[in-house]
Parts: sequence; structure tokens; C-alpha cells
Amino acid sequence: MFKKSKFWAILSVVLVASMLLAACATPAPTAAPQPQPQPAPSDISCEGVTAGDQISMLYQWSGQEEERLNAILKPFVDACGVAIVPEASRDQALLDTKVQAGTPPDVVFWGSTQLKQYAEKLVAMDALGVDAANYADYWKAMGTIDGKLLGLPVKADIKSIVWYSPKAFTEAGYTVPTTWEELDALVEKMVADGKVPWSMGMESGDATGWTGTDFIEDIILVKQGPEYVDAVIAGTTPYNDPGVQEAYEIYGKWAKDEKYTIGGAAGTVSTNFNDAINKVFSTPPEAMMVKQSGFAAGQITTTYPTLVYGEDFDFFQVPGVKGLQGGADWGMAFSDKPAVKALFAYLASNKGGEEWAKVGFDLTPNKAGTTTYEDASLAKKAEMLAATTGFVADIGDAIPGFGVTEFRGVTDWVNGGDLAQILSTIAAAQAEGTK
Amino acid sequence: MAASFLIFKGGKMASPRVATVMKQGKWTPWFYVLPALIIMTVFIVYPMINTVGLSFLNKDSSASAATTCVEGEACWGALENYRYALTNEINTSTPLTAWNTFWTSSYGNTIKWMVFMVAGTVIIGLVFAVLADKVKYEPLAKSIIFMPMAISFVGAGVIWKFMYNYGTSQVQIGVINAVITALGGKAIPFLSQPILNTFMLIIVGVWMWTGFCMTILSSAIKSIPEEVIEASRIDGATEWQVFMQIMVPIIAPTIVVVITTMVINTLKLFDIVYVMTGGNFGTDVIATRMYREMYSSYNTGRGTAIAVILIILIIPFIYMNIKRFIQQEAIR
Amino acid sequence: MKKARKITDGGPRTPLRTHILIIIILVIWLLPTIGLFVTSFRPIQRINTSGWWTVFSPDPEVKQADGSPAATLTLDNYIDSLMGYRGTKTYRAECASGSPGIGLTCTARDLLNPRGMGIAFVNTLLVTIPAVILPILIAAFAAYAFSWLDFKGRYFLFALLVGLQVVPLQMTLVPILKIYAQLGLAGTFWGVWLFHTGFGLPYAIYLLRNFMGGLPRDLFESAYLDGADHWTAFRRLVLPLTMPAIASLAIFQFLWVWNDLLVALVFLGGAKPVLTYQISNMVTSMGAGWHLLTAAAFISMLLPMIVFFALQRYFVRGMMAGAVKG
Repeated sequence: MFKKSKFWAILSVVLVASMLLAACATPAPTAAPQPQPQPAPSDISCEGVTAGDQISMLYQWSGQEEERLNAILKPFVDACGVAIVPEASRDQALLDTKVQAGTPPDVVFWGSTQLKQYAEKLVAMDALGVDAANYADYWKAMGTIDGKLLGLPVKADIKSIVWYSPKAFTEAGYTVPTTWEELDALVEKMVADGKVPWSMGMESGDATGWTGTDFIEDIILVKQGPEYVDAVIAGTTPYNDPGVQEAYEIYGKWAKDEKYTIGGAAGTVSTNFNDAINKVFSTPPEAMMVKQSGFAAGQITTTYPTLVYGEDFDFFQVPGVKGLQGGADWGMAFSDKPAVKALFAYLASNKGGEEWAKVGFDLTPNKAGTTTYEDASLAKKAEMLAATTGFVADIGDAIPGFGVTEFRGVTDWVNGGDLAQILSTIAAAQAEGTK
Repeated sequence: MAASFLIFKGGKMASPRVATVMKQGKWTPWFYVLPALIIMTVFIVYPMINTVGLSFLNKDSSASAATTCVEGEACWGALENYRYALTNEINTSTPLTAWNTFWTSSYGNTIKWMVFMVAGTVIIGLVFAVLADKVKYEPLAKSIIFMPMAISFVGAGVIWKFMYNYGTSQVQIGVINAVITALGGKAIPFLSQPILNTFMLIIVGVWMWTGFCMTILSSAIKSIPEEVIEASRIDGATEWQVFMQIMVPIIAPTIVVVITTMVINTLKLFDIVYVMTGGNFGTDVIATRMYREMYSSYNTGRGTAIAVILIILIIPFIYMNIKRFIQQEAIR
Repeated sequence: MKKARKITDGGPRTPLRTHILIIIILVIWLLPTIGLFVTSFRPIQRINTSGWWTVFSPDPEVKQADGSPAATLTLDNYIDSLMGYRGTKTYRAECASGSPGIGLTCTARDLLNPRGMGIAFVNTLLVTIPAVILPILIAAFAAYAFSWLDFKGRYFLFALLVGLQVVPLQMTLVPILKIYAQLGLAGTFWGVWLFHTGFGLPYAIYLLRNFMGGLPRDLFESAYLDGADHWTAFRRLVLPLTMPAIASLAIFQFLWVWNDLLVALVFLGGAKPVLTYQISNMVTSMGAGWHLLTAAAFISMLLPMIVFFALQRYFVRGMMAGAVKG
């Protein structure tokens, strides 16, 4: 009925063989160490680094993003002969588990929330010997907790921009608005012409709603200005303040009505944010404008590879916005070994900023990069960033544990919830996060 | 664990009936169970005890949960995280709002999942296992039902995007809305319409897990001696009677096992909801809420309190299983 | 095993309505997957603009970068995900243009590049095989004791088994990782194997006990009369007779480990990438590249389906022939 001896023999062979194989499998770092460091160019410092030193890294970037990061780090890796042992994941559980268990990676690239979250465990930039002269004061202020700069902003994106098709605007006789009133009038004109002004899809899995909170924060910047937003972040202005409420009402007027946005409330909450970008550039377009961060350009050219920047798609700053809303991913260190010091020195250096801009991984907050972008749309965004006076963070990123409540709040609001109740729930999370 | 201890002490069950038919040495049983017990203690019991401890502390485990109480509001002292976990989602201003908010809370949704997903997977799985048993293409048929289990959650998320997608224009890329609009209806936002969306997610769950129930139930059906079935057929029983009166009673113990497993799976269910709606639009279940408290709100105390509640919910099924365990030993 | 027969062999002919019912269920079950399968052969430009069922009447207006109409069907999704291509075009287009991305050579060697699925496939197998065999082996012993041996606390321990199954994985990660860091097990295969063993055990013992406990008492009585001890009974009687249960358990443990991402990430890390890791990293944090998931899902599904087919031979009637009292 059953050949027992044979079965056991096969079983043990398979088990032992796979275990042996596993024992032999050597770790394969993606960026293989160079055996001999090449003669270091004078602008990359490898002080104290021994060729073959490893840096373990954890970041949220993957796919094309990871490819770009590798390109940016390549000069450093080649010059110093370090080996990068990367790990990419957006699962917050992974980072939190590693930090809590006392086995964090040497370097983490993550959101600004983590600066506060892990303030006690991070190595300050001073201790790494980083010269932060290339960074604007508002960046340094954002990364400073209890008087210490705990991270380096590496990849920035601006959010206060609206994408549109110049071709479609010209055909319909529209001009780019320069004040909020003009924008409001343009929106009404589009509706009168039988066109849908906005594409507002906000579906994004567990983070559904973030395009909504971005939009609302921009409205707050128009109506109230950057100091107001900073006060909300600090917790001195409660989230259910009339200024915030007004922004929700303006947003809701558009986001819930199918005259103003594709599909009305159901369309807004059900449409994926990337699909929402596509809809403005389809033939015929389903809507005229989409307010979205800088990454939209990549989505447009992937779906519609023949479209040309400047002719078929372009963007303008949210009209009348005082200051600029944006966010950054931050480099943080849990280790102060020489290779880590050298890495941060590279990122903060002129060379590092130039490489970042050249590769074009969104924007670099490093001033040295401002003029070296090869991509025209990135260059335009970089100019906006460089010219801004009141740069503010995304409120949701700036208060630990707050973003998720804010996202759900705006989703509920569009989906028919009661505004006063929603805002007081969010305000409670704000109070807790800023305590 | 305290839960099983209570049952153990509480019932008449505490009189173990000697199950063995062969002589056994004093240490024989421990040679068989100890490796398993040691590994489980290290990997589950010890971390669990840790977790229970954290659930009485504040968000970063630096002080007692009692310190998080807000003055002028209800407070359960060291059990404050449990108060939050149990009552926060429920609006208790009137019994009616409490009732309504309960059914859209993570607890209400988990109950919906338990009832409909367990019933769906077990019934379809059982019926299909019996039907497939009668045809020559059984391996192929079973593989097709089983296939969704083999698709990772990432893949499943994409698959159902093409089923449920809500298109805002004439172009629908979701199958169901394409059919609805082709028939002249209006497209439905399946995943963002409260109440409906939880059931749409349960359908995904049934699709994924029926293969599991079918596989286990099928192996139980295969162990029914065919003489028994043939005898009743000769006695003139219809196929339905054979199914209900012969097969189901014989494989009843396995059905209990499958139900228990599915209840556990639904209690822990996380990925489907997390991938498809992220718990938005009133689709939260206990596990997604736990995850959010732990890793989005960074509140370890509340997250672990929810985990402990999850474990307590399994007690009735522990009781059910012990009862069956004893029954099985009595009749064999 | 050749003697295995189906109920139909001696019973009434299978009626047509049974076939119809089976086929209806099969169609319902297949429909979502067919959508994914068709989509996996479509270029990204088409996926978002038309339903997958329009694949045979493509819209000529959908263009690719050089202005020519995009292909109706393409293998690019499969090639890109196999090679771990992470750029903005396709692997083939980039190789044709002569400037492949970092680490790519446009030769067969790319199949083994660290971001592709080749190495990840091997790593996943190395994780999975011991993580399936170890818990089932240990569980079989324990289940035997719970079924046919008498010891103090067996009811209590059995109740514990049911309870332990519901413990959420996330709750155990931090304490275990702390232990591993002290023992030097973090980042090793042993770390993952042991963790999966620990987490697989409660269910494995629970399921196997149900099947082992259901075996008839006569079997053991006659074995005892023949002079068998527990070790012989376990090896010669119980293991072969519970093979269907062991086979289904093996399938599920295999699937769980194969499709796991979190445990592999926490305990093995990115240095030894597994399939799920490579797949989830094809998509950027902004969702670009998700079309590659369609192809990747099928590639990673292949082996589990083969395992399921292979273990089907244990799901046959007749294994218990003569062993069960009527």
C-alpha cells in the first residue's frame, strides 16, 4: 500500500538538501562591493571607510524609485567601496518591529513622522559631522527635534500644483488662473460650458483620502496662509477651527458634486488617485484639471507615452496660494559608523545634490541640485520650491499617528458624514498627537 | 492561557477518560509532545504574555494606561485601553445609535464576516467536494476551486479590481459594472458604499477560502467506506438522503474542525480588507483596526488590547472543540 | 492504491445536472482569474483604458512611445517581472535602445540578477521546504500523543492549541526578534524556519489530531496483540492512514509560507529576497508599475499549483479500505 522506507528516504533527503543549500546560500547585496576603492574624486569623502564596509538600509521606495536611488548612490558606492544591503518595504510593521527589537538598520529613509517617533534612538546629524549648509532653514526647522537636527531631507515633492492640458485649455479658450477668484470663476465657466472641471479620485488602499487632505491643506494655505498651518501642526489651532471647516466646505462643494468632479462623491472616493490623473489626459478628457503632487508627470507619460510636457500636459501653482505645501522623505541614521557618516556627507554635499537632481528622483532639498535638473518639469518645480517663502509640511505627515485619522475623516466627509463630528474626531487625534 | 484554563476547571470535562489502548511508559507521551510544546511556548506563549502586559500600558509602554485617561470622561484605570477598544467605535447616546454604530464597527463587521464567510466557504466547499467526488475530472475541478488560495494577496487585490472597479465614464474596466451598464443600469461603487462593501469583500473571502474547506472536507469524504454508501443506495436512498443522512454525520467531526479553522481565519482576517479598502467606508474588522492602532497611530497599548480581545473571542469555540474531543474518544 | 475506486463505479450514473452544477461553479470561480490572466498579456497603456474582455477589438488610438499603436498582446509584463526590470519603459525596449539599467546586461544572466525572480525563487524554496516539513513532522508526533496516549493536562493543552491559533502574528514579532538578535539567528534561514514551525504547529497538531483521533480503536488493539509498541503503531499504522490529512496540511503550510512576506522581511531581510518581496517591490510607493503584478502573480502561483496537483494522489478513496469499522 505504501512504501514507507522510500517515503522517509525521500523526505529526509529533501529536508537535508534544502537546509544544506540554505546554509551555503550567501547573502547577495544588490550593490556588490568593489574590491578596490577607485581613486576617490576629491568631492566624495570616504574618511575612515574600509572597502567592503556594509550599510544596511531600509526605505519605502521600490520599483523605479529604487532604481533611481541606486543611480544616485552609485558614485558614492564606487568611490568608497561600501556595500549597501538594502531592504524596501512600506509595511510600517517592519520598521517598527526592527526598531523596537533593538535591531534597526543603519540608515532609514522614511517620512518626517519617524523623526519624532524615534527621536530618542536616532543619531543626530551633528554627531555624524554633517554640514547642513545646503539646506534651507525651513527644512532644518522641520527636522529639528529638541534642538537637534535628526535627519536630512533627501527627496522632496511639492503638492500645491494643478495639472492640466494646455492644448485642451487653448481649444476651450481658457487661461491659467492666477488668483483664487480666477480659479473659482474658471471652474464655474467650465461647468457652464458643460465640462467637468476636476478629477479628484482619492482611493489609495489603506491611505485612501490623502489626495483630499492635500487639497484641503492647499485651500487653507490660500485662505489662511502658512502660519495658520504651522499653528495646526503645533496643536495651538484646533483642527475644528472655522478656518479648517471653511476649507472642508469649499472642497466638499466640488468633491461631492458630479457637475464639479468626475462621478461626484462616489467617483471621488472610489477612483484610484493614479486613475484620476489619467482621466484628465484621455481622449476625450473626462475632466480639465487634477490637483496632484509632482509625481503625476510619471503617471501621465507611462499611460500616454506620446504626450509631450509643456504642450499636452503641464502644471500651475495653486492660484493664490500663500507659501507652498510639500513633503519630504528623510534620511535618518541609527548608527554612527564611518560608512554611514560618509554616506550622509555625500548626500549633503554639492556632488550629492547635483547627482540627485541629475537622476531626477523627484526634487532634492539640497540647494546644490537646484540648477542641475535635466527634466524640464522637475526644473520648473525646483524653481517653485526655491522661490517659496512659506514652505509648510503636510499636516498629516507632521503629527505622529495623525495622518490616518485625517485621511479617514475627509473620506467620510465626501461620503456623506457629518462635518462637525468628523472635525472634532480629527481634532481629538491632533490633540493626542501634539501632546 | 487563562481562557482555556477556565473551561478546563469549569466543566465536567475535567475527568479525563483514559484514551490509550496500549501500554505506555511513564515518559512516552512526553517524548511525543515535548518538542511541539517547547517550540510553541517560545514562539507563541511567551510573546503572548508579553503582549498582554503591554495592553495595560500607554502608547509607548512607558507608563500605566491609567495615565492616558482624560479628565471628565469615562476611565477604566489600567484597563483604559480596553475601554477604548470596546467603546470608542460605538455611539452610546441612545440605544438605537449604539445598535446602529455597533453593526458598522469592527466588531459588527467581524461578526458579519464570521457568519457569512464561514457559512459560505463550508457549504460551498462541502457541496463541491461531494459533487466533484462523482466525476472523472475531479482533480482538475478541485484545482480550479483551489487556485485562488495559491494567488498571493497582492495578486488577488488586482484580480478583484477588475471585477469591482467603478468607472466614472462610459468605459468600465470592472466586469460587474460593465455588465450592469451594458444592461442599461447605473454603475455601483461596490467598495465605497457602506454595508454593501463588506458583503462584496466577503465574496472575495469566500472565493479565496472555499478551496481550503473543500480540500479538507474532500479528504474526509474519501475516508468514508464505500460499503456504507452503497448499502444505503441499495436500500433505495436518494443521493440527497445519502448526503444528509450518511455522509454528513460521518464527517461531522471534520466539519467542526473546518468551521473552527474558518472562524479563526475570519477573526484574524486582515489582508483582504487591508488591500482592498484599507478599512475605509465602514469595512473595518478587528484585525485591521489592531494593525492601524499599532502601526499607523503608534499606540502599542491600544493595539495589544484589541489583540487580547480577539483572543478572548475564541473561547466559545475552544469549548465546542473540547466537547467534541471528549465525544470522539468516547465513541471510537 | 491502484484499487482506488470512485463512488460512481458501483453507484448510479452521474446525472447531467451534477455536471452542469459543477461547471457553473467552476465558471464563477474562474472568471476573476481569467480577467487577471488576460490582463497580464496586455500593455499598460491598454489596461487602464478598456476592459480586459475587449482584448479582441483593440482601440487603435492607444499609442506607444514612438507614436505607433500599442501592441494588443505582449509578453513584456512577464519578461519585466522575471528580470526584475525597474525602469520606466520595458526591459526589451531598454535593451533595444542599448542602455540597460544598473545591473542589467541584456543576456540570460539577467535571470539571476538580484532583483529578478530567479534567485528569489531559489530563496523561497529554501525557506519553504524545511518550513513545511519541520512543523508537520513535529506536529504528527504531538498529534499522536493527543490521540492515543494518556498524559496529565491533555485537555488543557488541547484547549490551548485552539486558543494559540488566533494569536496575531504581529504581536509576536518584537519579542522573537529580540531573542534572535541575542542568539544571532536574525537574518538566517534557521530564524525563518523556526518561526514558521512555531506558528504552524498549533493548527497542524489540531488538524492531525482530528484525523488520528478518528481512527478506530480495533486497529490499535489488534496491533497491540501483534506485539507492536507505540513507535511501531505511529510509524506503520497512523502515518500512512492519515496521509490525506498530512497532504492537505502540507499544501496549506506550503501556501502560507510561500505567500508570506512579513515574516520573511522581519527575520530574513532584503539580503536574501523571497518571491513576495520581489513582487511587492515592483510597484513604487506611488503605485506605478502595478501592471507587472498581473504577470508576477501567475509566475509565483505556478509552483503551489504543481504541489497541489502532485499531492492529489493522496486524496483517493481506499486508503482506509478495511481499516475502518463499518
